[in-house]
Amino acid sequence: MSGLQKSPWVIHYDASSCNGCDIEVLASLTPGFDVERFGIVNTGNPKHADVFLVTGSVNEQNREVVRNIYEQMPEPKVVVALGACATSGGIFRECYNVAGGVDTVIPVDVYVPGCAVRPEAIIDGVVRALGILEARRAAMAASSTAAGVMMIQRATAADLPELLAVQKVAYQSEAEIYGDMSLPALRQSLGELTGDFGRMIFLKGVVNGKIVASVRGYDDGQGTAHLLRLSVLPYFRGRRLGRRLIAAVEREFPGVGRYEIFTGHRSAVNIHIYTKLGYKRFKTEPFSAAVEWVYMEKKTS
Amino acid sequence: MSPWWRVLIYLVAAPLLGGLLAGLDRRISARMQARLGPPLLQPFYDVAKLWSKERLVVRRSQNFYILFFFLLTVFTGALFFGGSDLLLVFFALTLSGIFFVLGAYKASSPYSFVGASRELIQMMADEPAILLTAVGMYMVTHTFSVHEIAAQQTMPVLLLPGVFFALMYVMEIKFRKSPFDLSSSHHAHQELVRGIATEFAGPTLALIEVAHWYENVMLLGWIFLFFSIHWAVGLAFTALSFFLLVVVDNVCARVKWQFVLRSAWRVTLVLGCGNILLLWLLEMFGILKLNQ
Repeated sequence: MSGLQKSPWVIHYDASSCNGCDIEVLASLTPGFDVERFGIVNTGNPKHADVFLVTGSVNEQNREVVRNIYEQMPEPKVVVALGACATSGGIFRECYNVAGGVDTVIPVDVYVPGCAVRPEAIIDGVVRALGILEARRAAMAASSTAAGVMMIQRATAADLPELLAVQKVAYQSEAEIYGDMSLPALRQSLGELTGDFGRMIFLKGVVNGKIVASVRGYDDGQGTAHLLRLSVLPYFRGRRLGRRLIAAVEREFPGVGRYEIFTGHRSAVNIHIYTKLGYKRFKTEPFSAAVEWVYMEKKTS
Repeated sequence: MSPWWRVLIYLVAAPLLGGLLAGLDRRISARMQARLGPPLLQPFYDVAKLWSKERLVVRRSQNFYILFFFLLTVFTGALFFGGSDLLLVFFALTLSGIFFVLGAYKASSPYSFVGASRELIQMMADEPAILLTAVGMYMVTHTFSVHEIAAQQTMPVLLLPGVFFALMYVMEIKFRKSPFDLSSSHHAHQELVRGIATEFAGPTLALIEVAHWYENVMLLGWIFLFFSIHWAVGLAFTALSFFLLVVVDNVCARVKWQFVLRSAWRVTLVLGCGNILLLWLLEMFGILKLNQ
């Protein structure tokens, strides 16, 4: 679609710049350069932005801010590092409090050098970023139609941070159901997940190299395989990916007599999926004031 | 033309016209600021872009309210162009606005909250004048039906200049223009971080934009009613009014909410109510004979 290239909305963040580059960014909005000719709008809101313009080197105090802004921007998005400091740390590179260029915190797509960077170079950088943005959009459109060809693989230790991120995003909807942000799946740390990884089998669902779903399970040694933490990213729901993952993780435990799984008592979608897969509820157990676990089992024939 | 045809034409043409007006607005504004400005079709590029973006939410339910805001806004316009009751149109418009506010409250962020409460204040400020417009129209034409008002081919503005001025005053609020763009501004994207629309991204933001196009076309319809003696005259004055709104937008700085509320009510009370009171007195003493 041509819309994306004709309407790049930018957000500008000053990560300890000397203001030289910032003034040039604002200069490009003035009548002299008028970037609105190209549909460029300077938004103050990461959620509306497509292009992230960063000026200045990143220091230890604002690296979280830079990362936060980046993560709040909806895909597809690009990052443009403006000026010598943003591209490499510049003359502040050796400072004790400077982390370096923007690419030490978030992935940078276009580097625009200059001290200070000139408005013509800024416009050129944004225009270059548009090509990357368009390629990302095409990849995104392809991945949304390619959800049917999700590959299911065993996860490796290197996948754990991504798996944790998928889990935390996926369980937001559960937290919303119960109005409780303290569900175990949302509180799990990377350390605990690594502990789980030592004793469980982790499966990941991969679409175009990105993990979109996961599940894990373990054999308790008494003939029961416990399956848990089925996570599917919201965007990929309603395409039976969860059912495929459950079926795949069941096959990882061929010798057991029964499979066991649990979910919250108001998670109607989960209970529906598990029932369709042949699970029957056999006990409930209160967990907190808001949540009651529903345990479901399936016996192998 | 049957009402159903008019509604159908409205459903198809309003977003096109609304988008073009938004593009024209941005271009005229740019020229007033000695800039070239974006292409005329820029709002359509923006919406197409937003449609292809990720649907990022704080809570998934927030989009549900925006869907209803969109549907009710379209419905309000359909009531208007279908020739229905002006009062009904007014209350449907209020309801659609409330859904927008609810969506912003659902998104639970400080910017969104500030935008939502300012939107409520704006609604409080603009609604008396819009309601008074319906009352004034009834006094002059003896009907609330949009269809019959337009069919009478009169010039209500001649008898209702005060009411018209009050309506134009609050139109500046309704079109989200300076000096009254408190809840969400189209031009200054930085200061309020888009207020009420802050937490809506991607396709949902596109839906909000298109809803505004529908709403703007409907609001211009209200202005048209004041000049409905002939369609060409009506269109000319409506276009002139729209240009006036853009001019005021460009020459005014944003004011505080207290000023918005006080001034809108004062203008409505003095000019709007004064106009209607005067008409009533003139008719009572037999000086003026309103057509029956």
